[in-house]
Amino acid sequence: MSGLFEFVLPAAVLFAGAFLIYLVSRVFRLSNRVEAVLTVVILIATGVLLILQLQGMPGLLQNPEAVFGADPPGGIVFVPNAVGTFILILGTAIGILVSVYSGEYLSRDSRYLHYYPLILLTLMGLMGMFMSVNLFNLFFLTELVTVSVSALIAFRYRREISIKAGFKYLIMSSLGTMIMLLGIYFVYRSTGDLNLTGVLAKPDDLTRIGAACFLLGFSLKAGVFPLHTWVPDVYGHAPSAVSGLLAGVVSKSMLFVMPVICLRLGMTERELGIYLMVFACFNMLVGSIRMLRQRLLRRFLSFSSIAQTGYLMFGLGIGFYYQLDQAFSAGLYLFLVIAVMKSLAFLAAGIFQHHTGTQDMEALTGIGGILTMPALCFSVALAGLAGIPLLAGFTGKWLIFTAALATGDIFAIITLVIFLISTLIGLGGYLPTLVRQYLPLTESQLAAKILNNPVKSPGWMLAPVILLALLVVGIGTYPAPWINLVEQVMKWMLI
Amino acid sequence: MSFEEIILPGITLIPVLGVVILLIWRKATKTQAAIIGIVSEGFALLIPLLLYSGMKNNGIIAFSLPWIPNMQISFSLELNWLSLIFLLTEVLVTLAAMIYSLGEKTGEKNSNYYYALLLLFSLGMSGTTLADDVFLFYIFWELMLVASVLLILVWGHGESRFKVSLKYFIITHIGSLLVLISLITLYVNFETASLSELIRQAHTLPVNLQTLLTLFFIIGFSVKMAIFPLHIWLPDAHTVAPMPVTIILAAAMLSMGTYGVLRFPYALFPIDTIQPFAIWMMIAGLVSEVYGALMALAEKDIKRIIAYSSVSQMGYILFGMGTLTLRGMEGAIMHVVYHAIVKALLFMVVGILISVTNEREIDKIGGLGMKYPALCISAAIGVLGISGMPPLGIFNSEWMIFAGGFDSGISIALTVMTLLGSIFTVIYALRFFGGIFFGKRSPEDLPAKAPLALTIPTVAVMIFLLVEGLLPGPLLSWAIRGLGTIFGGSG
Repeated sequence: MSGLFEFVLPAAVLFAGAFLIYLVSRVFRLSNRVEAVLTVVILIATGVLLILQLQGMPGLLQNPEAVFGADPPGGIVFVPNAVGTFILILGTAIGILVSVYSGEYLSRDSRYLHYYPLILLTLMGLMGMFMSVNLFNLFFLTELVTVSVSALIAFRYRREISIKAGFKYLIMSSLGTMIMLLGIYFVYRSTGDLNLTGVLAKPDDLTRIGAACFLLGFSLKAGVFPLHTWVPDVYGHAPSAVSGLLAGVVSKSMLFVMPVICLRLGMTERELGIYLMVFACFNMLVGSIRMLRQRLLRRFLSFSSIAQTGYLMFGLGIGFYYQLDQAFSAGLYLFLVIAVMKSLAFLAAGIFQHHTGTQDMEALTGIGGILTMPALCFSVALAGLAGIPLLAGFTGKWLIFTAALATGDIFAIITLVIFLISTLIGLGGYLPTLVRQYLPLTESQLAAKILNNPVKSPGWMLAPVILLALLVVGIGTYPAPWINLVEQVMKWMLI
Repeated sequence: MSFEEIILPGITLIPVLGVVILLIWRKATKTQAAIIGIVSEGFALLIPLLLYSGMKNNGIIAFSLPWIPNMQISFSLELNWLSLIFLLTEVLVTLAAMIYSLGEKTGEKNSNYYYALLLLFSLGMSGTTLADDVFLFYIFWELMLVASVLLILVWGHGESRFKVSLKYFIITHIGSLLVLISLITLYVNFETASLSELIRQAHTLPVNLQTLLTLFFIIGFSVKMAIFPLHIWLPDAHTVAPMPVTIILAAAMLSMGTYGVLRFPYALFPIDTIQPFAIWMMIAGLVSEVYGALMALAEKDIKRIIAYSSVSQMGYILFGMGTLTLRGMEGAIMHVVYHAIVKALLFMVVGILISVTNEREIDKIGGLGMKYPALCISAAIGVLGISGMPPLGIFNSEWMIFAGGFDSGISIALTVMTLLGSIFTVIYALRFFGGIFFGKRSPEDLPAKAPLALTIPTVAVMIFLLVEGLLPGPLLSWAIRGLGTIFGGSG
C-alpha cells in the first residue's frame, strides 16, 4: 500500500480540480480568463507533483506496485511508469500553454465553462492509462479520455463541421475501446483475472488474441495506418488549441501505453517490433504524400502528424525488434520534440484562423507580413519538423538514423530508406508552406488582405507560441540535458 | 590552452556576434550594416593570418569543447593546411562580395537581415572547413544551404525565385542526405563523432562498406559541386540570386564540395578503396567540362553563361581529383582558388554590365569596349584567366591537372580529351568578351561611367588575380602541405 499516495496524488489533483473549477466558475460566474488562470494553477500543481514523482522514481520502482481497494483480484493495481510520468509532465506543460492560449482563443465562445475541466479530465485519464495494469481500470480510463476528447473536439457545437469531427472521433475511438473490451473478455476467460501485475506466466492463444485486440485498439487511437482516417478530420476541425494537445501529446502517447499491456499479455517483443516497423512505413509514406495536396492548413498538419506517428513507431519498433535501448531513447526524444513542434504548429495556425477566419492555405498567402510574430513561430515549427539543423527536429532525426544504422540489419535499413524518402517528400510539403507565408499578395488571396495592416496578436495567444518556438530552438541548439533526461527515464523503464 | 587554440573559435564566433548585432540593430542603414558585416568577416580573415606562424610550427591548431557529451559530440574545430586554403578563399570571396554589394541595389531594404544572412552563409562555409566533428560539420553544411536559400528567396530576382530556391534546396538537400547517411554510419561504427578520430580508425571498416560510403560521399558532394547531371539546381539558382550572392555561390560554395571529397573519402579511406572511382570521376569531370562549356556557348543570358562556366570549371576540378596523383590533386586545389578569383571577377563584371545596360541578353549588348575601359580590361583579364592563358592563375592549375592526368596512367585518352575539351572554354569565353565589348554599339543612352563603387572592387580582384597568377609559389606549397594533411605526407 505504501507509495500509493505518490502514485495517485497528481491524478487526484486533476480529477478534483476538474470538478472544482467547473463548480467555482459556475457559481461565481467567472470569466473565461479567470477560469483559464485557475486551470493553469491546477496544472502547475500537478506538474510539480509529477516532477517530484519522476525524481523519486528510483525509490518508487523498488516498490513496484500499489493496490487500491482490496487485494487483487478484487482490487485495482497501479504500477509506476517512468515514461508515463515523463509524458504526463510534457502533457501538463503543453496543457498549461494551451490553457493560457485559450484564455484569448475562446474569447468569442460562450460555453468555455466545460472546456477547461475537460482538458484536465483528458490528462487525468491519460495519466491513469499509463499507471494502471488492471484491465477494467484501463478500459474505464480509456473511455474517460475518449469522451472528454470528443467533447473538446465538438466544442464549437454550433458549427456542423465540429459536430461531425467530434462524432467521427467518438465513433472511431469507441470502436477502439470496443475492440479492447473484446480483448478483456479473452484475457479474463483465460486467466480469470484482470490484474496484469507482471508478464503472464503462461500466455495461451486466448491471451494472445487479447493482446492483438489491445494492439488494434491502441493503434486506432494513435492513428496508425489504415486506422488513421479520423486524424485529418479531427485535427482539422477541432479548436486549434485542442488539436495541439491531441496531436502533440494525447494520440501519440498511445504508442507508449501499447507495449506495456501487449507485452504483459504474452506478445513477444519481436512481434511488436515487426508490427511497428512495417506499419511505420505505411504511416510515413501515406502521411507525407497526402500532406502535399492539402488546401487547409490544419489538415496539412494532420497528415504530417500521421507521418510523425510513423517516425515514432519506427524508433520504438527498432527498439523492440532489435532490443536496442538507444532506439527507445531516440523514440522518446522524438516524442518530446514532436510534441513541442506540433503543438507549436497547431497553436500558431490557430492564431491565423482566429484573426482571418480561414485556414485555407491559398487564402493565407502572405500572412507573414501581417501576423509577423505568429508567422515567424510557425516557420520555426515547420523548419523544425522538416529537420533543419539547430532546431529540435534535427537531433531527433540524427538519433533515429543512428539507431537504425546501429542495427546493421537490412530490415532496419530498408525502413530507414523509407524514412528518408518520407522526410524528403515532407520537405516538399513544409518548405512551400513556409515560403507561402511570405509571398507577395495577389488579387485572389483575400484572407491576408482582410487585415491589410500588421496586426498585433493578443499576448495570451502569442506568449505560449513564442515560448514553444524558443523551446524548439533551445532544444535544437543544446540537446544534451534533454537527451540525458530521456535516457534516464528509459533506463528506469527498462530495469 | 595556448593563445592560438583560444582565438581559433573566433573565426566562427565573431561572425555570430556580428549576426546578433545586426539582428538587434533593425534601423541600421545599408552602409552601417555593411560595416558590421565586413568588420566581423574581417576577423575571420585576420584570425587565420594570426595563426599562420603557429601553423608553420605545428601543422594543425585544434579547439574542442564538449557539447552533447552523451552522444560523444563536441564543438571541435581544427585548422590545417587544407582547411586554411578553403577558409581563406571563402572569406576573401565573401568580403569581396560584401564590398561589392555596397555599390549595388540588393539589400537596401532590411539591410541588417541581408548582411546577417551573408555572414551566416559565410559562417556556414568557414564552419564546414573547420569542423572536426561530423555532427558539427553537417550543421554548418546545412547552415550554408539554409542561409543561401533565404538570400535567394528574399532578395532574388523575379517571381520564379520561390520555385528556384525550393528546387535548389531540395536537390542539394538530397546530396546532403547521402553525406549524412555516410557520416552517421561512421559515427555508429566507431562511436565517435570526432573527424580526426574517425580518420585514424576508418580504414578498419569492411572494404564493401568503405566502397559504399565513398560512393555516397562522392555523389553527395558532387551535387554541391554541380557536376553533370547533378548540376540542375545551379543555372537557375545562380541566375535568380542577387549578384553578391551569386558571387559567393559560384566562387566559394561550389568548392565546398571539393573540400568535402578531400576531407572525407580521400582522408578517411585507403587509396585502394578510392581507386575504382578514379576513372568515373575523370569521366564525370570530362563530361561536366564539355557540357558546361557547350551550354555556356548556347546561352544568351550573360549571367547564365558565367553560371554554366562553373559547371565546366568544376569538371576540371573533379577530373584533377580523379587522377589520384599528387599533381592532379594539387592542381585541383589550386584550381579551386584560381577559379574563385576568376569567377568572382567575371560575375562582378556581369553585375556592372547589367547595372549599366539594364540588359541581360548578349545579343542586345555590344561595343562597350571603348566606353568602359576599366571594365573592358577587367573582363579581358577574367576571360583570358578562365581560358587558361599564362601567366594567369588557371594556367598553372590546369597544367597541374593535365600533368596529373598523364601521370595517373588511368587513361591517356581521357586526359587528351579533357585537354582538347578546354578549347570550348576558350570559345565561350571569347564569345562572351567579343559579343559584349566589340561589335555593334548597343543603345545610346548609357551612363557615361560605370559605377565607381562596383568598379573599384572589380579592379581590385583583377589585380589580385594577376598577382596570384604570377606568384603561385606560396599557394602551391600550401596545397602540397594540405595534401600532406590528408595523406600523412606520403601522397
